[in-house]
Amino acid sequence: MKSLVLNPILAKEFRSRMRNWKSPLMISLYLGLLGLITLAYYWMQQKRGFYSGFGPDVGPQIFIILSVFQLLLLSFVTPALTAGVINGERERQTFDLLLCTRLSSASIVLNKLLASISYILLLVIASLPVFAIVYFFGGVLLSDMGRVILVSMATAITFGVIGIFCSTLFKRTQVSMVVSYVVVLLFLVGTMAVTVFLQGIQTGPYPRVTAMYFSYANPLVALFSIFPNQAAGVGIMSSFLGGYRTYGYNAAVSQALSPWQYNFIFDGVLIIVLLLLTVFLLDPVGRFKRLRKNPAVVETEAESAPAEG
Amino acid sequence: MLQVEELSKSYGKFLAVDRLSFSVEDGAIFGFVGPNGAGKTTTMKILGTLLRPSSGKAWIAGEDVSQNPRRIRQLVGYMPDFFGVYDDLKVDEYLDFYSASYRIPARQREKIISDLLELMDLEHKREAYVDSLSRGMKQRLCLARCLVHDPALLILDEPASGLDPRARVEVREILKELKNMGKTIIISSHILSELTELCTHLGIIEAGKMVACGSVDEIVHRSQSAQSIEIRVLGQMDEALFIINNNLGLSAIKLDEQMLELPFNGNEEEMNRILTHLVQAGIPLVSFAQSQSNLENIFMQLTKGVVQ
Ligand SMILES: Nc1ncnc2c1ncn2[C@@H]1O[C@H](COP(=O)(O)OP(=O)(O)OP(=O)(O)O)[C@@H](O)[C@H]1O
Ligand SMILES: [Mg+2]
Repeated sequence: MKSLVLNPILAKEFRSRMRNWKSPLMISLYLGLLGLITLAYYWMQQKRGFYSGFGPDVGPQIFIILSVFQLLLLSFVTPALTAGVINGERERQTFDLLLCTRLSSASIVLNKLLASISYILLLVIASLPVFAIVYFFGGVLLSDMGRVILVSMATAITFGVIGIFCSTLFKRTQVSMVVSYVVVLLFLVGTMAVTVFLQGIQTGPYPRVTAMYFSYANPLVALFSIFPNQAAGVGIMSSFLGGYRTYGYNAAVSQALSPWQYNFIFDGVLIIVLLLLTVFLLDPVGRFKRLRKNPAVVETEAESAPAEG
Repeated sequence: MLQVEELSKSYGKFLAVDRLSFSVEDGAIFGFVGPNGAGKTTTMKILGTLLRPSSGKAWIAGEDVSQNPRRIRQLVGYMPDFFGVYDDLKVDEYLDFYSASYRIPARQREKIISDLLELMDLEHKREAYVDSLSRGMKQRLCLARCLVHDPALLILDEPASGLDPRARVEVREILKELKNMGKTIIISSHILSELTELCTHLGIIEAGKMVACGSVDEIVHRSQSAQSIEIRVLGQMDEALFIINNNLGLSAIKLDEQMLELPFNGNEEEMNRILTHLVQAGIPLVSFAQSQSNLENIFMQLTKGVVQ
């Protein structure tokens, strides 16, 4: 397991990523945007506060805006980081060379993913001070912040895996970029559209329940299920939250898990399935292909099953 | 070291490698020659565990290639017919990356890299970005890369393509040195003369089939009769061709505007007959001479240009 994860690809990716000027620029831009939003909102509130006083709502409000914005930024950044990793290697013609080494295709994929995730983690960590400022406004629980970061990371990893999958599936980087962004957009907007559609056509005693599960695939819905209920803005999303935490509404629907937890599980399953598919697609002479093409080989192999290191 | 038995690879309906069988002894340099599209790269990729054969088997040092790719990868150094380089790495980092990918402990890597850079005469470029190297240097760097894990068998796909004559000689010298170090080498090319001095054995492949295989001496000997006549004319090239090919029923080919080559195994009487025919027809002959058989001729004879 150790050899699967800790391998030279990770070190190399870090080195090349940090070597060029793009990374610092990207991090600065990312932080700049988040900071700017906080400031802009703060100023707006202060102007209003001149007449009506500084509301207790400001903390949660900025928190929601920041969280949503961070999620959107990560959704935007991640495919750019991952949708070119495999076909980038193919285009540079280094991919065959990698496969020739003792790295398995599983470890190549995992490390490529890990390199991108660490980069995203770096972005998230860099944004923590901004969140800390929000915390000092008050009105936000530390546990909620933790959950927001958890959901953001899970979303980023999911989109990252989607990017890697596309970059394996499609020969050309441009194609996989476009497809990845389309899929991300489907997650952010498409799931909501499907929910609205299903809600429209469904009748019966519990019309909203099944439709809801579609919307739980949406990271934004998951995010809003974390926010405190009374905060402004949550109301807009209430039709997607399926009665969860919504006052006096659809009380019949009792759910074991909250939407963000469903989302978390959904992400986990998707990540595992896509990773397995990616490794399967990559392996030129791997186990899976041997299974499929030559049953005789499998028998002899089972006999002399070598211990995997 | 290497045994290939009835190896085939088809891409859809197209049979790129057709029941290929040959073997390479320990310490040999096996030249794998064939025209473009003959199936050299395909065969080498199968041996390098990058492709699955459609049927047939191959063993390297007793290991079945398609059954145990991991062990094969440890035994084989494969150099494809392109450089794969990362533009944001330096030469030593590049080699370090691949050594690490072969799971060589960090302590040993430093020494291996220094040795390889010395062998390839690249020490002065240690700190240079891979991208900034010349073609010849990149080629040597790639050779260094496939040596990091000290493989017993080197599979080199056209290592000298696109190099100037001096660089070719350099690569050849390096390969000789590697042979002296006890490596077995398979090297492909579509230029036979490039390999004659270097190789101990030759395999000539065309359209996925082996047309000749054996030691260099054997092949040269077998085709000893494969001689030709070179005919030089001042003009009337087409008439000359017509006389030879149609009237005499032989098959000459036009080398350039003034030169004809005629594969020919006959005796002197027959030679005289051809010459007489040409003279009587009023062809302005300049020279008419038997050329010594060289490998290029053998190659042209053996491979009849079926593919492409
Ligand atoms: N991925 C592929 N899909 C379909 N056909 C292929 C593929 N790769 C190679 N071929 C075909 O297989 C044949 C053999 O190709 P290969 O690259 O092995 O030839 P080669 O001997 O290496 O030629 P060259 O001297 O030009 O490198 C060619 O006709 C080629 O068109
Ligand atoms: Mg080739």
